[in-house]
This record gives sequence, C-alpha cells and structure tokens, in this order.
Amino acid sequence: MSGADILLQSLIDQGIDTIFGYPGGSIMPVYDRLYDYGDRLRHILVRHEQGAIHAAQGYARAKHFPGAVIVTSGPGATNVITGIADAMIDSTPLVVITGQVGANLLGTDAFQETDVIGLTGPITKWNYQIRRPEDVAWAVARAFYIAKSGRPGPVVLDFAKNAQTGMAEYKKEQCSFIRSYDPYPEVKLADIAKAADMINASKRPLIVYGQGIILGNAEKELLSVIEKADIPAGSTLLGLSGIPSDCPNYLGMVGMHGNIAPNVMTQKCDLLIAVGMRFDDRVTGKTDEYAKQAKIIHIDIDAAEINKNVKVDLGIIGDAKTVLPRIEALLEKKDHSEWKKVAAKCREIEEEKVIGPECRPGKGYINMGEVVETVAEVTKDSAIIITDVGENQMIGARYSRYNQTRSMITSGGLGTMGFGLPAAIGAKIGAPERPVCLFVGDGGLQMTIQELGTIMQEHTGVKIVLLNNNWLGNVRLWQELFFNERYSFTRMLNPEYKLIADAYGISYKVVNRREDLRAAVEEMFADDKPYLLNVEVEEKGMVFPMVPPGKSVSEIMLNKKDWLEYGE
Amino acid sequence: MANNLYEITVYSENQVGLLSFIANTFTRRSINIESLRVFPSEIPGVHKFTIKSRTTEEQILQVVKQIEKKVDVHKAFYYVDDERHVREIEAVQALIDSRMEENR
Ligand SMILES: Cc1ncc(C[n+]2csc(CCOP(=O)(O)OP(=O)(O)O)c2C)c(N)n1
Repeated sequence: MSGADILLQSLIDQGIDTIFGYPGGSIMPVYDRLYDYGDRLRHILVRHEQGAIHAAQGYARAKHFPGAVIVTSGPGATNVITGIADAMIDSTPLVVITGQVGANLLGTDAFQETDVIGLTGPITKWNYQIRRPEDVAWAVARAFYIAKSGRPGPVVLDFAKNAQTGMAEYKKEQCSFIRSYDPYPEVKLADIAKAADMINASKRPLIVYGQGIILGNAEKELLSVIEKADIPAGSTLLGLSGIPSDCPNYLGMVGMHGNIAPNVMTQKCDLLIAVGMRFDDRVTGKTDEYAKQAKIIHIDIDAAEINKNVKVDLGIIGDAKTVLPRIEALLEKKDHSEWKKVAAKCREIEEEKVIGPECRPGKGYINMGEVVETVAEVTKDSAIIITDVGENQMIGARYSRYNQTRSMITSGGLGTMGFGLPAAIGAKIGAPERPVCLFVGDGGLQMTIQELGTIMQEHTGVKIVLLNNNWLGNVRLWQELFFNERYSFTRMLNPEYKLIADAYGISYKVVNRREDLRAAVEEMFADDKPYLLNVEVEEKGMVFPMVPPGKSVSEIMLNKKDWLEYGE
Repeated sequence: MANNLYEITVYSENQVGLLSFIANTFTRRSINIESLRVFPSEIPGVHKFTIKSRTTEEQILQVVKQIEKKVDVHKAFYYVDDERHVREIEAVQALIDSRMEENR
C-alpha cells in the first residue's frame, strides 16, 4: 500500500469516519486516495483551514472523540496554528495531518515548505514528522493514543510527500503504552483518605469544577459527591453542562463574569475542592487573595497544574473518574443548608440587580440576555450551545441552561474570535441528533463567515444567532469602563446580512422588536435546517456582574455604579 | 525569592524537537540558560540534557514539571549550585521498569 492509503486505513482503524480538510500540492497523494474512500470517510471541505481546525474542535467536544484534520503544507499548515493553540489550552483531542514537501527537499526553502514541527512544538501535546511510509501506521496509532489519553490535546503529524507516495506493507497498529508517558498516574490512598477527612471536617465546603469532569466522563461521580456531602458547586466556563443546571447545589459559573454566589463563596468557604480545573486568572481574579481563608484540595490529571497558579494544601494527581468515587466512599452524609443560605442570598441580589435588568427590562432595545434565555426556553435547555468570543460568549454562558453534558462549546483559554461558526458546524456533524445553537457577535461572525459556504454545501443544520450590536462589543465595554469611553476602532459598519444569507441559501430573519423575538426563535428551531437569526440588540450592552481585572473575586460590580455589598 | 544557580537534568527519548521544546520552556518564562548539554545517557536509547540556569526555586519547579509533562520525557531533576546528583540513572531506570511492569 502507499503511505497515503496506510494513513487513511489507519484513520479508519482508529474509528475516524469524518475528516475536516482542504487540499493542496503537498497533500495531493492523500486526497487522490481519499477519492476512493467515500463510503468509509466523509470529508468536509471547509472554506479556510482555520474553519477545518475549529470544526474539528467542535466535533471532538460534542462527540467526545478526536477530531481529524487534513491540510496541505506551508499556508495550509500555518492556517491551522490558531486552532491548534486553542485546542492545546482547552485540552481538545485532535489529530492534525499536514502535508509536507518531500524529505529530500526539507530545509531547502522549497515551495510551500514551512517548519511545522518547529512551529507547532509549543502548542501540541506531541508532534512527529513522517518521512517514511513504514512509519505511518505506527505514527497514527501513537497520535491517537496521545491525543485521547490523560489530559487530552492536539497532535500534529507532518507528512512528507515521499512518505505519502512510497509503498510499505500495512499492518494494523494499536498503541496503548509509551514508556516515557504516564497518562493515568496511580493515586495515593493516603491522599484520598486525607481529602475525605478534610471534607468531613469542613463546615463550609465549596466545589469548583472544570472541563476535566467532562473530559474524564466523571459527571455522575461528581454529582454523587455533591449530593452525598451536600456541597455547593460552581463551574468554570469550560466545565459548564458538567452537571445539570437544575441541580439544587449548582451555583453557576465562577470567575470574571460568573455568578455572584460561587465567587462570594470562594472567599467565605473553609475548604475549596477544585476538580479538573486549572485556576485560570479569569477564574481566580487576584490570585494573592483567592480563597486565602480556605484550605484547598486540587484534583487534576495533570501534575504540572498542581501548585502552578494557586498554592494548595493537598494536590491529588489523578483522573476525576477514579479519584472522586474513592473519596465519596469515605464521606459522611452532611446537611449544609446553613452554609447554602449564602448562595440563596447571593442569588437574590443577582436576580434583582443583574438578571432582571438584563433579561426582563421590558422596554428599550433587546438585550443579549433576553435572546439567550429565549433560546433556552424554546429548546427546553436541550441544545448544544456554541459561542464565539466576547459579550456574546459571556452572556451565552451565563444565561444558557444545560440538561445534559457536553452542551457548551466555547474557546476558553485562548479566546479565539472566529471559533464559533466553524465549531458549531463541527458540533452539529459530531452530534447530528441534537439542536446546535451558536451565539456570535458581528465581529466574530465576520472572522470566519466564509464557512457559511461549508454549511451550504453540507446542509449542516446550525442555528446561528447573531447578537448584532455594531461594535466589537467586549472591547467597547472595556473602553467604556476602563479607558474613559474612548472608543478607539471598535465601531463596526455591518454588511446587509440578509443578502449574505440569501447568497448561501440560508434561511434568515432579522428581529429588532422584543415582541417578535420568541416567535422568531421558535420558527428557527421548527426544523433542522441552517438558519441565521440576526437580532439587533442594545448597542451598548454590558456584561455584569464583573470582577474587574486585578480585583479579588468578591469585589464585584453589579452595574456601572453599584458594587456588591454583601456584609459578613 | 532569591535567585540561585540551578542545574536541571532531563532524561528523554531521542525525539526531534525536544531540544527546542526544553529551551523554550525556559525562555518563555524569561529565564536565561547559562549552559546546555545533550548526550546519550547510560540507559540505551535515553538521552540526557543538562541545563544550568539562574532563577528562583518556584520558577525551576514549574519548568521541571512542564518538561516532565512532555510525552517523550522520562524524568527531570533539579539541583541547587553544586549539590550532588544522586542516583539519577537508577531512578530513571526504575521508573521505566515500573511502567513496563504495569503495562504487562
Ligand atoms: C482573534 C481575536 N482577535 C481579537 C480578539 C480581542 N477581542 C475580544 S472580544 C472582541 C470583540 C468581539 O466583538 P464581537 O464579535 O462583535 O462580539 P461582542 O463582544 O459584541 O458580542 C475582541 C476584538 C480576540 N479575542 N480574538
């Protein structure tokens, strides 16, 4: 078989049935073979390689399976860099195959040669240049094992052209062991006992969980701990949907634009149990003051995260799915109703000062929050929510509700504008049975708007909700609050979106009156076809509550004038 | 925290790109590398890097963890000043053996 055939056969053997890609000179032998694999491999032709990589990310996160990307060398490879960096920081399993010039031309500045191994080294979990057809099966097997196991991440295989055309014997390969790599470290029993003791002794425990719960399939295990020991729990942005929004002990999201309760309780708890999260600075605010009064237990599969941003009293390196049940077995049943009153009080304040004004203003322009709430109501919390980056992201995250896991896909660590539309395409292809709803700003939509072409060609039933404010909203918000309202280059003239939607054959409606909103959202979800709903929202919408940069997480702005006054 | 001269030793598979990854791990945190050597270790197929650098213990701990996180790295150690390297080879060999054993 040719190296190209071995690649495709190996992908199939790894369980891949969908590839996001874009052809070009250095990957043509693979594309030529792909032509004959139509019955086994579905190839999604995107409109820009950035679209391929973000689509693969959306696919991977919706389907809980690595996304596969094939692009050419040089510009094809550099166009996927943003998505690889995004997948790295958000722990998304991807296998990215980049074409490369023939091994004899490496290092000569050949046409479309670029140092992909050098460029992607810092932003991949592993990368490897395949220079011989004999190495293809081995490299692919290893790539999938690394991408999926432990803390997942992106892997790049740089595939030299001579290895694509060269012949080798194909032998099915599987990889389940690498002697220098320990993806599931052994958990110390003493640490489990210590954690359980700390939790049993705690009067005011708080759980903060992240995407590790979802990546580790530990949703049920987390819920059991929460229920048995009656511990209130807040989620990071990427942890959202890990437990259902209607769970009585669920406090909402932590961090800069998180809910008030988990942020305030972070500063009042006596024990913080952090699971599958990494204390991002958008979560912790000023780290010197973060949960200073509390003991901290940090459970994470990645040893390098323990004591990285926040010093902890007990670090447990391990998989949430194995660690949590072992701790739970040693937990006493508890009733923390007294402590949970703090949450009730915070919720009341947030409802009155923030949520009410945002979601039920009654007059004026439509707010972003109203739109997001309407989608939650119409879909009965069942949609996969995708967001782009900016206000649309924070409002989308805050006001969506989730009744099942893997329902929130957003660019967390990198904050990549343009992520949303292609990620939504990938998510819909990965989970075709579920409604997929994208919240996107007018800035972010235009960063990858070319992917409407992919939607047209593939008939991908993505529901696009454009929260259109004619500004680069989130930057404008910072300019209003922190830069004396000097709106430097954030005003944006928008195109006529109806013409764009028409050009791509995508159903379209524009809404600017509150009374038309619900009917429009209902119409959008009436079938499973692509739809662009352009909601002209309040131009100077804000996102509150807000922990301003450099503040501790209980220093919370409720609106432009008022700060949270919680008292003791 | 006070700056000290640290010596870091890294044992890894012989993989392209590791050298620049290891160097990057320092430079990304603006830690200067004073010297760097790469050579085969006494364990067949395993390479050894030694890097000298002036920085804080806090930083060096982060660097060591980030390096150890790389798939092809077996283990990294660090020492202050001229502290003696204790039984590194034995430790790395034992680690490889135990992982092989577990996998059996
Ligand atoms: C690729 C990229 N460039 C720049 C930014 C900085 N940035 C963050 S939010 C934002 C504004 C987003 O505006 P828009 O897409 O209209 O969404 P809104 O905030 O109005 O919802 C910008 C420019 C970014 N996150 N990503």
